[in-house]
Amino acid sequence: MNAPLRRTAWAIIIGFAVLVAATVWIQAVAGPGYRDDPRNPRLATWRVGRERGAIVTADAAVVARSDPNPLDPQTFARVYPENDLNAHTVGYVSVLFGSRGLERTRESDLVSHRDSTISGLLNAVLGGDPRPRGLRLTIDEELQRTAAAALEGERGSIIAMDPTTGAVLASVSTPGFDPNALIGPDAGLAGQQLDEDPNQPLLHRTIATTYPPGSSFKIITAATALETGVAGPATEFDDPLELELPGTTATIHNYDDDVCVDGDTVSLAEAFVRSCNTVFAELGMAVGGEALAETAEAFGFNQVIPYDLPVLASAFPEPFDFASDPPATAQNALGQRDVRATPIQMGVVAAAIANGGNIMVPHVVADVFTHDGMIESTTDVELWRRAVSPATAAILTDLMEQAVISGTGRNAAVPGVRVAGKTGTAQVTGAAPDVWFVGFAPVDPEPGERQVAVAVILEDGGPAGETASGGSIAAPIAATLFAQYLK
Amino acid sequence: MTRNTEAVFILAATVLASLGVAMVQFAGGIWLDSAVALTFVSFALAFGSLHVAFRLWAPNANAMILPIAAFLTALGTVEVFRLDAELAALQRWWLVFAGVVGASIVWLLRSTGVAVLRRYRYLFLAAAMVLLMLPLLPASWPVHGAVVNGSRLWVRIDLPFAARALSFQPGEVAKVLLTIFLASYLADRSEAMSTVSRTVGPFRIPEPRHLGPVIVAAGVSFVVLVYQRDLGASLLLFGLFVGMLYVATGRGFYLGMGLVLVTVAGAAAFTMFSHVQVRIEAWLDPFADYAGSGYQTAQGLFAMGSGSLTGSGLGLGRPDLIPAAATDFVFAAIGEELGLAGSIAVIVGYAFLVAIGFGIALRSRDRFRKYLAAGLTILLGLQTFLIIAGIVRLLPITGITLPFMSYGGSSLLASAMIAALLGRISHEERT
Repeated sequence: MNAPLRRTAWAIIIGFAVLVAATVWIQAVAGPGYRDDPRNPRLATWRVGRERGAIVTADAAVVARSDPNPLDPQTFARVYPENDLNAHTVGYVSVLFGSRGLERTRESDLVSHRDSTISGLLNAVLGGDPRPRGLRLTIDEELQRTAAAALEGERGSIIAMDPTTGAVLASVSTPGFDPNALIGPDAGLAGQQLDEDPNQPLLHRTIATTYPPGSSFKIITAATALETGVAGPATEFDDPLELELPGTTATIHNYDDDVCVDGDTVSLAEAFVRSCNTVFAELGMAVGGEALAETAEAFGFNQVIPYDLPVLASAFPEPFDFASDPPATAQNALGQRDVRATPIQMGVVAAAIANGGNIMVPHVVADVFTHDGMIESTTDVELWRRAVSPATAAILTDLMEQAVISGTGRNAAVPGVRVAGKTGTAQVTGAAPDVWFVGFAPVDPEPGERQVAVAVILEDGGPAGETASGGSIAAPIAATLFAQYLK
Repeated sequence: MTRNTEAVFILAATVLASLGVAMVQFAGGIWLDSAVALTFVSFALAFGSLHVAFRLWAPNANAMILPIAAFLTALGTVEVFRLDAELAALQRWWLVFAGVVGASIVWLLRSTGVAVLRRYRYLFLAAAMVLLMLPLLPASWPVHGAVVNGSRLWVRIDLPFAARALSFQPGEVAKVLLTIFLASYLADRSEAMSTVSRTVGPFRIPEPRHLGPVIVAAGVSFVVLVYQRDLGASLLLFGLFVGMLYVATGRGFYLGMGLVLVTVAGAAAFTMFSHVQVRIEAWLDPFADYAGSGYQTAQGLFAMGSGSLTGSGLGLGRPDLIPAAATDFVFAAIGEELGLAGSIAVIVGYAFLVAIGFGIALRSRDRFRKYLAAGLTILLGLQTFLIIAGIVRLLPITGITLPFMSYGGSSLLASAMIAALLGRISHEERT
């Protein structure tokens, strides 16, 4: 009479075995999925309270560090000692607002791997270091401070990079914000105020806002002419007071509503130096929308620039939409109408010219170091794409240097330094112009000498408003940066 | 295993519980207070009195029952303390009370043996029915029923001198009493019930009048489900009845009929009661109504997943985020703070206890003792299985306690009664 009892016993024991299997599944196999589910309320406190590695600039200024939380010995508090200086690039980790910037994209390096998952266990058994890694940035602390000071009180952005490596030396977006406020006791209120601020301090303009590049786009229009052979620097163009666009009553004027040189003819080089719209509109129609789009894309337009942070793609319209429309082609060739560029994109354009036409992958993380301060991995210097030929880059360099010596970019000149650059004053309907300077210095660095490419933009004309131009507002800022970095 | 080894293991479990409480306090940044000492004292009193009772009045009892029960209780107590120190203080009183009741049972049966229980089976049946009906008492009475989380399972006694009403779930104790009744009833009738008198097609069917108990079982379970809205207790009772019938008769027919009835009743309950529907939906996809019906299941999964292999450590997780963490979901809380290691240890602990219980039943020479040991073990095993299966999503959440571990005086009392009875039965088999 024990047989049914035995069977019942087995049934329950097998039931328990199934429980063990299901528990293993829930905790060890599906477990990490549940743990990392965004709805898991532990996640926010867990992520914020974990020890994270330090983030330092190239010259070892501490941008972010984790301090033991005095109120709760199990957790750490993130501190950003520089407040807003590198806020957009580094970002933050907040219970209320999640994470942004490098704190988000490089989280797997920054957080401690001291966790009890199967992979964590294997890592520990195999001798992996579970402690958090730190990041050393390519940011030059002094240049960053200079750039931030130059944009103080304005809406705009500056990016400075090493053309030969793609290393970002300064990256500023203003207005900024203090990430400490978003993790402090009044984080909710601080976040709400930042959110409601019409100047959008949380917006990382350098990589996430596109502006019409205006005349700074003439670098690309000129590059198209050189690459296609349609025109060379000495090619002469008519110099009208205004250019009538075929099929419309619209006309193209120069910046000062005057002729470019003498009303007779003007060389492409002269037109570039003086930034003559009439000539570049005609040149744009001569090279055609297809070629313009091709060159723009070679410089990175319509692509996502590879970077340590997600970059909004800059836009050059599909030729299909405008190539059969000469007036549209003309306006796009001037960097107006439908052309939009992020500050980092224009920085890349400057760097490409400086680097013989080759675009290096831009990066802001130089290397990852272990908790003991040993370098664990270094970001590779990589070629992203070739924008133009070295010959074209050399000619463009010449044109840009002339623009600073005797043209619209005069205010970017630094005594004793060969500076090359192009200004831009982009007309914005209903607002003051967005003003640009895109350039680099020195033109021909000695081996081992520093070189820096910059893009500077101020929204709505910066302090000068309606009367602003790239030459009057953005170029002097570039000069300060060159002087600071190359001193 | 001797009584001395048992004493050592009980002491170890007592130390484990006290150290666990100390660890929770350290983790919370609190300096140790009286809770550590009180935990030690309550464990020593509860399991000490059971141990002494075994020593005196059931010296040949299986010596593994109390140590395993003590270890499970220790883990449960620590986790309850971690979740709510106030509940844990109440639980300590309940633990001492349950230990004393268990010891008293062993003392009461010292000369008569469990056989005496057989004589009073209708008394137990009546007591069980009264206990099951108690929660239906109107709210205006001093002793009245109470609805918690939609289930009418609770009885509250308003004490004029205490700020807090004393509440308990009479159903927990009723289950043990019903097991005694069933064991006794089946010991008399099992021969008749297993006689196959006729066949219908391929099925061999017992005398129709022997089907009565099964139908009664289904009826009682369904009444519990309808009036108390308690899916867990209802399933548990039904499983107990069918399991014991099968053990006593060896007729697969009872299992088949049980399965048919549970399917029919389940389908009926699904269509008739919205709370059953909600449970089933939350089981199939807890994330479909994450903020609503699926919330508890989802929080349990998050807790278990966050615990991973070794857990967050005592006092370092967030099991307080799980609704009913100290009662129904204590297993998920353990899973979070002690990890897979802890939750597997708990399941293995219950598996040992169940194996020991069935071992006692298998060795019993007397029918009543055999059925009683089997019934108590089925009760323990099935209850553990149902609630853990609910948490790990093998079954819908049934809302019953985990024996020995969950917070709840009545649950602890019933668990202690089971341990005492199993111990006494094992003693009788060896003498």
